Parts: sequence; structure tokens; C-alpha cells
Amino acid sequence: MTSSPDAAMSEAVSDGGSPRRQQLSEAERRARFEDEVMPQVDRLFSAALRYTRDRTDAEDLVQESLVKAYRSLHQYRPGTNLRAWLYRILHTTYISMYRKAQRRPQESLQEEIDDFSFYDEVVRSGGGSAEREVLGALTADEVKQALADLPETFRLAVYLADVEGFAYKEIAEIMDTPVGTVMSRLHRGRKALQKALSTYAHERGLIQDLDDPSAGDADDHEEDA
Amino acid sequence: MRSDAANCGGNCEDALERLEAYLDGELPDTDVADIASHLAACYPCTDRASFEEQLRAMVRRDCVETAPDSLIDRIRERLADPASR
Ligand SMILES: [Zn+2]
Repeated sequence: MTSSPDAAMSEAVSDGGSPRRQQLSEAERRARFEDEVMPQVDRLFSAALRYTRDRTDAEDLVQESLVKAYRSLHQYRPGTNLRAWLYRILHTTYISMYRKAQRRPQESLQEEIDDFSFYDEVVRSGGGSAEREVLGALTADEVKQALADLPETFRLAVYLADVEGFAYKEIAEIMDTPVGTVMSRLHRGRKALQKALSTYAHERGLIQDLDDPSAGDADDHEEDA
Repeated sequence: MRSDAANCGGNCEDALERLEAYLDGELPDTDVADIASHLAACYPCTDRASFEEQLRAMVRRDCVETAPDSLIDRIRERLADPASR
């Protein structure tokens, strides 16, 4: 009876009105929460740090999100994506705890970012195996800082895709935004992240400044011959 | 030298346009086969694709943290207390 009309129906109705909404005893709820949700705490905390960019706020956000998840555990349909469900709760909790308090306009990214290519910069400055070396030399702190410096909506899209591995459609549901918007935030957010990493690489002399007249000099390549 | 796309024609431009969605696993199967066969035959595009993949792997690796034990304790305490959940 896996394809009974009832099952199909319960897939189609929204969380609140599901006829298959589960009745959970307190003990069952605790057990399921421990088994299924608690193993996700490290990941949720990592996400909360990228959301809030502050350890104390991140701890508060995870705690509030998990209390909400606990209360609404009966609304989660087994067999559907638990992680996406948890991240949706994290996202809405973040918005209600932090974003409305900030009241600042959404930041955006410069148009020029679309033309930026970290790969092209690295290849132009060294070529060959240089690109692997540049990436290998960037530190975890630099990567985290570059991500933290992205405007919020871009930062979250990049985090949810590149770190958590969510599909476009799942990110759209978590962020409550159309798939097309997710794709454009992801595209531009990744470019801006690369731009920030490239700035660190320039500052540390890992790639040569293109304005420097000695950079890209043909002599640089002759030693290889 | 502006772009590798110029070196190997329209196929590259077409492949690079869809590269991001390809790496995200978001292309339909027919397109996936297109891009895969282009990458197999084109070194500049493969090199670019592997740079992008390496970058993503770096972000994934560097942004994973461990929740403090004190946080986990606090969550369990709150859930155990009917008045605070
Ligand atoms: Zn190509």
C-alpha cells in the first residue's frame, strides 16, 4: 500500500493540516529528538555562526531553533528531508531574532563582480600549478572571514550550497525565495567570495599585483625552459 | 589572453556558461553528458572546473565547527524542563 491515495494526499497537504500528523508521547518525542536531531547540532552551530557571525548569538540561535524544532517535531514527516526542515527553522528563527532588530537595508554587490574570475587572475599571474598553490596557502581564517564579509543573503546562499550541499530548490525553501533568486545570489556570492580571497592572496604576495609593471613579465617564465 | 574560452571556440563558452550548475549537480542529464564530454576533451575548461571544485571543497572544510558542550548541555536541560520549552 505504499502508493495509497492517503499517502499521496499527505504529501500534498501543508504541514499544519496534515491528516497524518503524528501523535507523539513525551518519551517518544525525546527519543526521536535525541536520535535524529541532536546529531545535527554541530552542523547547525556551524550554520548559526555563518548567520550571526558571533559565537554567543550563534549559541542562542541554535538553542531557540532546537526548542522550536522540539515543539514542532510532530509536524516533521518521516522520510522527508530532516536537515532541510531544521535549516528552515534555523532560518526563520534567525530572521525573527536578529534581522528585524537590525532594520538596515539589504546590502548588495557591485555590478562589476560578474566579470571577476579568480581563476583567470591566478593563471595570469603564474600559470601552471600556481593556482593549486595559491588555494593551498589560503588559511581557514581567511576563508571564514571572506565568507563573513559577504552581504547576508549572498553569504547564506553560498553557505547553504557549498558547505551544506543543499540543492537550489532546498535553499529556495529554506530562504523562502524563488529558485532563480537563489541561483543569482549563489553566482554573485561565489564571485564576491573569490574576489575577497584574491584580495588576501594579493596582500600576502601569493599572486602578483597586475598593476605592478614587473608582474606577468615574460622573463618570469624563462626559467622553466 | 583574457579568457581561455577564446582559445577553443564556442563550445567552451557554452560549457562555461553551464559549468556552475553542472558542478552543483543541477543540470538535466542530457546537459550533463554534453558538459562531461566537453570537459573530457578540453584541458582549459577541465582545469577551470577543478579550480572551482577545489575552492568549494576548501570552503566546505574550513567552515565546519563543533558546538560547545555547554551549549548541548543547556539544550538538553531546557528540553527536560516542561516550563522552558
Ligand atoms: Zn573548453
